[in-house]
Amino acid sequence: MTENADEPARAAAGPASSEGAQASTAAVSRRRLIVGAAGTAAAGAALGAGVTAAVLGSNERGAASVPGASGTDSVDLTRSVPFYDQVHQVGIRTPPQRHCVYMTFNLTAGATQQSLQVLLARWSAAISQLVQGKSIGPIEPSRPDAVSVDTGEASGLAPASLTVTVGLGPGVFDDRFGLAAKRPALLANLPRIPGDVLQPGLTGGDLSLQACADDPQVAYHAVRNLARMVTSTAQTHWVVLGFGRASAGPGQETPRNLMGFKDGTRNVSTDVDYESFVWLKDADWMTGGTYQVARKVLMTIETWDFDRISDQQRIFGRTKLEGAPLSGTKEFDTPDFALKADGAHVIDQASHIALAAPENNGGVKILRRGYNFTDGLNSQGLLDAGLLFLTYQNDPQHFVGLQQKLGSFDLLNEYIRHVGSAIFAIPPSPKAGRYIAQELFE
Amino acid sequence: MSRKLRAAVGLTVAAVALTTAACATTAPTTAGTSTAPAASGAADGSAPVSNGAAQIKVTLTNNGNDTCTPDFTTAAAGPVTFTVENLSAAAITEVELQNELKILGEKENLAPGLPASSFTVTLDGGSYTLYCLGATPETQTFTVTGQAAAAPTGSTASLLNQGTTDYATWVVGQSEELQVAVTNLKAAIDAGDLAKSKTAYVNARTFYEKIESDVEGFVMPGFKVSDNKGNLDYLIDMRASNLDEAVGWSGFHAIERDLWKTGAIGAATKKYAADLDTNVGKLVVVVKTLEFKPEDLANGAAALLEEVQSNKITGEEEEFSHTDLSDFAANVEGARQAFAYLQPGLEKIDADLMTSVVTQFGNVDAELAELRDNSAPGGYLVWNEANRAKHRKALSQAVLGLQQPMQKIAEKVATAK
Repeated sequence: MTENADEPARAAAGPASSEGAQASTAAVSRRRLIVGAAGTAAAGAALGAGVTAAVLGSNERGAASVPGASGTDSVDLTRSVPFYDQVHQVGIRTPPQRHCVYMTFNLTAGATQQSLQVLLARWSAAISQLVQGKSIGPIEPSRPDAVSVDTGEASGLAPASLTVTVGLGPGVFDDRFGLAAKRPALLANLPRIPGDVLQPGLTGGDLSLQACADDPQVAYHAVRNLARMVTSTAQTHWVVLGFGRASAGPGQETPRNLMGFKDGTRNVSTDVDYESFVWLKDADWMTGGTYQVARKVLMTIETWDFDRISDQQRIFGRTKLEGAPLSGTKEFDTPDFALKADGAHVIDQASHIALAAPENNGGVKILRRGYNFTDGLNSQGLLDAGLLFLTYQNDPQHFVGLQQKLGSFDLLNEYIRHVGSAIFAIPPSPKAGRYIAQELFE
Repeated sequence: MSRKLRAAVGLTVAAVALTTAACATTAPTTAGTSTAPAASGAADGSAPVSNGAAQIKVTLTNNGNDTCTPDFTTAAAGPVTFTVENLSAAAITEVELQNELKILGEKENLAPGLPASSFTVTLDGGSYTLYCLGATPETQTFTVTGQAAAAPTGSTASLLNQGTTDYATWVVGQSEELQVAVTNLKAAIDAGDLAKSKTAYVNARTFYEKIESDVEGFVMPGFKVSDNKGNLDYLIDMRASNLDEAVGWSGFHAIERDLWKTGAIGAATKKYAADLDTNVGKLVVVVKTLEFKPEDLANGAAALLEEVQSNKITGEEEEFSHTDLSDFAANVEGARQAFAYLQPGLEKIDADLMTSVVTQFGNVDAELAELRDNSAPGGYLVWNEANRAKHRKALSQAVLGLQQPMQKIAEKVATAK
């Protein structure tokens, strides 16, 4: 039960959940919007959030949607995801929302253990308000010389399944804050990985915020307000504005990356996989936590778009429209990497799926929760866009091992550049009355 | 223009101390029963006294609503310590004690899980309000009985008031220094000495930049604010980007253009210098009439930091000379002076906030010190595109760190008693 408690669908459907009750009553009064195929939208509108939520909550892939059909996923902006009293932080197993703002921070030269403590406590309290669609303080203070506590642009907007996931970088545990003894066992800067062309301004960070929501303004408001309340303690480092989820959660249709291919067909999805590959066990104060790796991956989009379809499909190892492995006919057909035709492998051994497949990596899987992004145009007038690749794993070496292989051999490398990179420890969810990573200060 | 502050009677904030002990696990047994006196309370139901102060424990909890509950709502006159602990009220970030909407003492940055923290105020008999921002209800009555001994030092308001008077004197002094520096600049220009003129220019700029936040008052008598002909700030400090064609270009930046871009002193340059000298003379007269309220100093300091963030770090101010960092340092110095005059009063209202501002000024100073270059005019790196690209992020973020606590001061000092 608790394993799925971070899914808004579950929370909304569960009769014992106060958050669920809030979502249902909110449906009456708040502005709400359902997008999707007419049938789904009508059902959602007529029967309320619970029904839509229940449909989306189905763990059986494809129950709510037909793979390949478009627009059958629905969004109910009135849904909210509880923050406190979860086992794991939300925003990881939560079905990916449509939009995501990912920002990293560096602690300032003057930051102390106490100011870090206040930052984490204030962030936790504020996030617990934001996820309910509330402001974090007066938008229009009564005193004329007072400054607005909440900037206001999310006023009147529904919670939109906002989740804000907080990460702690390796720098938190260096000699600045007296926390070295509590360093999560596997938290260390990532090694140099073949193919990396990392830019210092897009690399590393002491803290990360992953704010995802079905309304981009809700996600942006959250990060903006969390950043502004701590400028004396933490400085912004780098940010990616993600739109269009590029990975699927339970019951969601597999979305597509900007190359037009489905991404995440074989993602971590079962309880067993989460236990084996995502959540930390017997990890002291980090038990129930995980590690987040963030990679900003640029795509050379124009060049990709001029590539012939047969080459594109060879590079991924899948068909473009259906997403079927080249050894099969349907998206969820298990790839047959041994299959040959005319003496050659049907799925190229250097294709993306062949190199990344668990069966070719000692069974290792990582949870991918990426978002497409664009930064507009680059200095050449070309589309500046790509994938914000966010992964969660209980051993960062799982990511490193996979990426070392992909960075060296992936046919896709001709069209992508890993320019940003960071790793963060993701502490478990706080209980009500506590804050994220409070254990560090006890 | 200035509102005279009423002198407050019988109040002083004795101390503001952060309780560092982690006592998040000791939930007060009286939480939720706001009026039940504890066994240790005085016979009349008022709060017990220890360490020379009446002790009030304020507990913030969520029971469906976020609530703010003091264990006693009555105390005897004298020092009163409020110890605030947020157990589970995520919406409550701040607790204040007020009297007639004036802040007497407060605690900010409250969040569930943090150790309890406290503030102490000395109260005379009367009715007060405990204000818990974000709580249901937000305000509760707090009653003080009896009479406190007369406060040994001045009230917060009188300290702040004294600060504004001293600040006004300081501003006049700066304007007079500016007059001397501009006269020197004029002499160098009249002599046709380019190198000396450049040095004199950078030197004169700093005096203006220190008091730039008070430009709203730099209007000559008889002119509307919207008429640039009577706006001394416009006449002295206009830039090409905000040129009013009807008035024409003059002032510091016209001189800057001639000295650095054209690299020659002409008849027009001499005319600019003469006009600047005249206008600064008028400014000195106007500045002597200015009066300030405490919040003017706080808002002025915040405005100078905004100037730094928006015009200096970007290199917009000194388009030709690239001496923006010298202006930057002067803006920061002006903000520091305004803050310093509020500091004695602010310390009584919120010592943590005061300390935070002092710390953040230190961080900005440290960033700026990295950029010193004694061989350059003004003593700082030439703020060209290459140097901006290298250093602006660190500078900008340090200033942002100072802006964060600074933004809160105006509200506090405007409502001080």
